[in-house]
Amino acid sequence: MLSFRSLIFFHALVACVLGSSDYAERLLLRPLPQSALLASFNFRSNESFTSFEQQNFRYFPRSLAQILQHAGTKELHLRFSLGRWDAESWGERPHNGAREGGTGVELWAWLDAENEQEAFSRWLTLTNTLSGLFCASLNFIDATKTIRPVMSFQPEGDHPNLSQLHLLHGTLPHEVVCTENLTPFLKLLPCKGKAGISSLLDGHKLFDASWQTMSIDVRPVCEASGECILEMEQTVDMVLDIDRSKRPRDNPIPRPLPIEEIECDTSKGYNAADTCYPLHGSAEPDFSLSQLFGRPIKGACPLTDSDGENANTVCINTPPERTVHANTTGPYVESRLVADTLRCYKLPTGADFDLSLPSQQMTTGLMLQPPSLFAARHINGHGQERGSIQTTIRNPTSSAVDFIYLESLPWFMKPYIHTLRARVSNSLENPITETFYKPAVDRHRGTHLELRMLIPASSTLTLTYDFEKAILRYTEYPPDANRGFDAAPAVIRLVSPGSADRKGVYIRTTSLLLPLPTPDFSMPYNVIILTSTVMALGFGNIFNLLVRRIVGADEVPGAGTGGIRGVIKGKVERLRALLGGVKKNT
Amino acid sequence: MPPSRGADASPAFSTPDQVPKMTAKTPPESTESLWLRRCVIMSFWAVAICLGLPMWWKTTAIYRAELPLQAMTDWADGKMCKPVFPLRIAIEAPTLPEQDAQHLLQTTQHALDDLNEFSAHHLRLMLTESPLTPNISQQVVTHHGLGTRSNDEDIALSIRLIPVETGATPRSQLQPYAPTLDVYYTHNQLPPPSSTSSPLATSIAHELDKIFAEEQALLAYLLSTTSGAHAAKMKSLSPGTFTELERQSTRALKYAPTYHLTFSLFTPTSVPSAWEIESALQRYLSPLLESFSAISNFTVDSQVQLYAGFSPSIRAPEYDEAMQAWTLRKEDLSGFINAAEWPLSPSIGHGPTVNFVLYVPDQSQSPLLVKENGGNSWLVPQWGGVLILNPASSQTPTTLTKDALAPAMHSFADQLLSLLGLPQSPASFPLRLSTLKRVRAASLIFSASSTMGALARLTRQLESIPVPDTVARSVDSTMAHLQQSCDLLRDGRFQGALEHARNAESEAEKAFFERSMVGQVYFPDEHKVAVYLPLLGPVAVPLIMAALKELKSVLPGRRR
Repeated sequence: MLSFRSLIFFHALVACVLGSSDYAERLLLRPLPQSALLASFNFRSNESFTSFEQQNFRYFPRSLAQILQHAGTKELHLRFSLGRWDAESWGERPHNGAREGGTGVELWAWLDAENEQEAFSRWLTLTNTLSGLFCASLNFIDATKTIRPVMSFQPEGDHPNLSQLHLLHGTLPHEVVCTENLTPFLKLLPCKGKAGISSLLDGHKLFDASWQTMSIDVRPVCEASGECILEMEQTVDMVLDIDRSKRPRDNPIPRPLPIEEIECDTSKGYNAADTCYPLHGSAEPDFSLSQLFGRPIKGACPLTDSDGENANTVCINTPPERTVHANTTGPYVESRLVADTLRCYKLPTGADFDLSLPSQQMTTGLMLQPPSLFAARHINGHGQERGSIQTTIRNPTSSAVDFIYLESLPWFMKPYIHTLRARVSNSLENPITETFYKPAVDRHRGTHLELRMLIPASSTLTLTYDFEKAILRYTEYPPDANRGFDAAPAVIRLVSPGSADRKGVYIRTTSLLLPLPTPDFSMPYNVIILTSTVMALGFGNIFNLLVRRIVGADEVPGAGTGGIRGVIKGKVERLRALLGGVKKNT
Repeated sequence: MPPSRGADASPAFSTPDQVPKMTAKTPPESTESLWLRRCVIMSFWAVAICLGLPMWWKTTAIYRAELPLQAMTDWADGKMCKPVFPLRIAIEAPTLPEQDAQHLLQTTQHALDDLNEFSAHHLRLMLTESPLTPNISQQVVTHHGLGTRSNDEDIALSIRLIPVETGATPRSQLQPYAPTLDVYYTHNQLPPPSSTSSPLATSIAHELDKIFAEEQALLAYLLSTTSGAHAAKMKSLSPGTFTELERQSTRALKYAPTYHLTFSLFTPTSVPSAWEIESALQRYLSPLLESFSAISNFTVDSQVQLYAGFSPSIRAPEYDEAMQAWTLRKEDLSGFINAAEWPLSPSIGHGPTVNFVLYVPDQSQSPLLVKENGGNSWLVPQWGGVLILNPASSQTPTTLTKDALAPAMHSFADQLLSLLGLPQSPASFPLRLSTLKRVRAASLIFSASSTMGALARLTRQLESIPVPDTVARSVDSTMAHLQQSCDLLRDGRFQGALEHARNAESEAEKAFFERSMVGQVYFPDEHKVAVYLPLLGPVAVPLIMAALKELKSVLPGRRR
C-alpha cells in the first residue's frame, strides 16, 4: 500500500514541475516487471507571449514557433509512437496516457480561423511545414485522414476566444518512427542533447525499445493576472528491455546462457541434465544508465534551476531497500521523497553522471497501479469483401467508468452502422449514451465515429460492427500494396473517473492491418494487349473477306480436286518436285 | 488485260514451273470486281488517314496555350524597352530673379550635357517656385525637407542656391539626411546674360556629375552584364570599377519585396543564454528598416542557440602568440557556419532570409579573431553576416546587455546595407536609397525580361511540354507590367516603375515555375506507341500488304 501511495504522490510532483521557471527537465526511471524499465523524459520550455509575437525566441525553438504563427495554430499536440504498452504487466500508462499517441504519427491542433475552409487550408499548411521540420510524412495527412473530433479532445491551454478555434485531428498509422524524427526533436531542446538528461537520448537505443512515444505539446498558459506564456512540453517515454539494452554493441545477437548458469524448474517431469525449463529469476537485474543508454548523463543542463524542486532532474522510483549508486566526479545531491520510494538527484554541472543498480534479491516490490480500463481491438472475418471490427473494453475497477470512444477509419473501410452492437457482459442495458457519426465520402473523407459509453463496474464491453472493403483504383495502391492498409488506433478518453488536471486520461488501442483486394498490377497492359489482339483478329478477318478474290472450285478449269484433298495433293506434288530437283542437281 | 495480272495464286502454287499451268486455269477477273477491291482498300486507307490519324493526333496532343513568343524574345533581347533614367533636379533660387535663374539653369544644363557620357542616364534641371521668402537662409536649413520639397516626389535632388558674402565660393554641401545640395555662391559668379558659361554653372555641373557617378557606373554595369544588346552603346567602365561593381553585385541579395532578418546568438557553451535583443533592435535597427520601407518590407526575428559547435570540416582555432588571441584561418571562414547542426532554416513565407550570427566563443578560446587581418566580422555573400563577440570581461556574462550588443548591431547594419546592394556613395542617405530604387527597378525589368526569354526558348525547344492557360495569362500580365514599368521609367517616376517591375518579376516567376508544365515531359511518345502497338501492328500489316500488292499489280501494267 505504501508503494501505491508513492505513485499518486509522484503524479502530483510532475504536475508541480510544470509551473515556475522558464526551462525545466526531468527523467523518471521506474523498473517494471520482467526486467523492463520505464524511462520517462520530460522537457518544458516557456516563452512569454510578447516575445513570441515579436519573434524573439530564447527557449522556444524558432523553427517551430514560426510554423505555429504561420498556420495560426494556438495549441498543438504531435505524437510519434512505436510499439504497444503492455497494460496487463506494466500497469497504468505514464502521464495517464495523455502524452502518448497511436502507433505511427498523430497530430491534433486548435487553429484560429474564420470558417472551416480557412481552418482546413491552415491545417494543410501546418502539416506540410511540420512534415519538413520533423522529416515525417505528415504532408500525407489530407482530407481523408483528417477529422474534427467533437467530444474526445479538450484544449489544455487557456484560450480567450475558444469559439473561433477549430480542432482538427489527423493520424498516419503507417508511418514508421525512426532516428530521422529524433534528430529534429533533439534540436528543439535548448541543450540539444549535449548536456542534461537529453544527452542520454540516442536513436539506436530509443527505437530499440519495446514501446516508445515522443510527444510535443504547445499550449498557452495564462495567469490570473492576464499574463500569458506559451509553454512547450516535449516528452519521450520508453520501456526498455534491460537484457536487450545491455547486450554489447559489437556482439548484438542474443545467445542462450550455458545450461549450468540457468536456474531450472526441477519440478518439471522432463527436467534432466540437458533439458531445462528456465525459471524467472526472482532477483532484480542489475543495470546502469551507461549500460542501458550507451553513455552516461553529461552533467546538468545549466539552464535548469540550480535549487528548488526543478533542480532534481533525475528520479528513480524503487523500493526503499534497493541499492542505488550514483557514479560521478562532481558534486551531486540525493534527496529521498515520498516515503523513500522516489530518489531524486541534482546533477553536477560539467561532470558525467551515472546511476547503477546492482542485482538484488528483493523481498518487497512496488505495487503498480492497475489501469482503469483495458482495451483491445481486432479485425474479424475472412474474404476480400467484408470484415468486422471487435473492440473489447474491460473495466477491472469497482466503479462504473464513463468514456468516449473515437474511431477514425479510412474511406475504403466502409462500416455498416446498422450492425453496430455494444454489449456488456453482465447487463442487458445498452451502454451507448451518445453517438456522433459522420459517414465517409469516397476519396474525400474518412469515417468519423464517436461514442459515449458507460461501462459498469468489473464487466466487459464488446463493441462490434461490420464493414465492407472498397476496391481501390489502380493508382491508389501504395508500392507495397500486398502488405495491407493500416487503420488508425481507436482513442478512448475517460470522462469519469477523469484526471485532476486538464490533460485528461487516454487509452489507445493498437493500429489494425486491413488486407484489401489487391489486383495484379500488370493487369492494364494485359487488358490492352488482349483487347487489341481480339480487335486485330476481327479486323483482319473482315478485311480479308473484303479484299480477297474468291473463286469457286468449279470455276477453275482443271482444278478438279478441291477442298482438303486438293490441298494435300498440291503439297505432295510440290514436295515431289522439290525432291526431284535436288536429285537432278546431285 | 494480260492473264498474269490476275495472279491471285497462293504461295503454294508459285513455283516457277507451275505458274503458267495454274494461271492459265484461273478465269480472268472482271474489271468491275477488280475496281471494287481497289475501292475497298482505298476506303480503308482513307478512313485510317482522314479519321484515324487526326483522332490519334488530337487525343494524344498536349495542350499548349498561345504564347507571344516573338514578343517574349524581343523583351529578352532588350528590343522592346531601352531603359532610360531621366532624373529631375530642382533648383531653388529664391533670391534670384526669374530671368537670371533661367539663364543659370540653361548654362548648367549645357555644362552637364557636355560632361555626361552615358546617354541612358541624364539629369534634367528644372526651376521650382519656392514658397519661402528670400534672405532667410538659416530658416531654410532648419525647415529643409518640409518647406523646400515640392510635392513631386520624383524629384531626385534639390539644389538650393544660397548667396553668401564670405568663405570660398562656389562651394557645395550635401545634406546627409535629405536629398538636398546646398550651393553657396556670390553674386558675381552668376553667368552674365551674354556668356554661356560661368564658374557657378561649371561647379554645379561637376558636383552633380560626381554625385551621380556611382549610380551611372552601377547602371552601366547592370546594362552591360544583363543583356548583350545594351552592351555596345555603353560607356566603357574601367576594369577596376568593373570588378568592384561585380564584387558588390555578387554580394547583394536578389531583390525581394520582403526580407526576413534573423538574428541568432550562438555559443559553444551554455553562456550567454540571454541577450537584450528587443531593445537593441529597437534602437539600432528599426530606424534603418523604416527608411527602406519604400523599397522592401522586413520581418525580424531572433533566437538563442547554445552548445553550437564548429563543423568538423574546419580546423580548430589556433593560439597566436603575437596577436595574443585565438585565430581562425581566412579559408575556414566559409565553413564557419555549421549548416548541418545550427538551426538557421529559412523563415516561412515568401522572400529570402538574411541571417546575422553573433558568435560568442568559449571562455577558453577567447578572444577569437581572424588570423590574416585580426578582424572579428565578415559578410557571407547573399546569405548574411557573422560577428564574433569576444566578451570584454574575463567572465562571459549570462546576459548580453544592449550596450554590449552595440558594436555588433552597428556592423550588422553595415552588412545589411551592402547585402541589400545600397551603393557606397554619395554621402546623402536618401540619395543612396533613391539610387537603389532605380537600380532595383532596372534589374527587375532585366530579370523579368530574361525570364520571359527563357520561357520562350523552353517552349520552343521542348515540343512535348504542355502550356496551360495560367502561364499565358501570367505572361500577358508580365508584359503589361514591364511595359508600364518601362514607360514610368522614361517619365522619371521611379517608385511606380519599381512597383510595376516587382509585379512583372513575380508574374514572370509564376509563369516559369508553373508546376503542371513539368509532369508531361517524362511521358514520352515511345511509351504511347508501346501501349498501342498491339492494336496498331496487326491492323497495319494487312492494310499495308494489300496496298503494296495492288500497287505492284497496277504499276507493271502501266509500264507495259
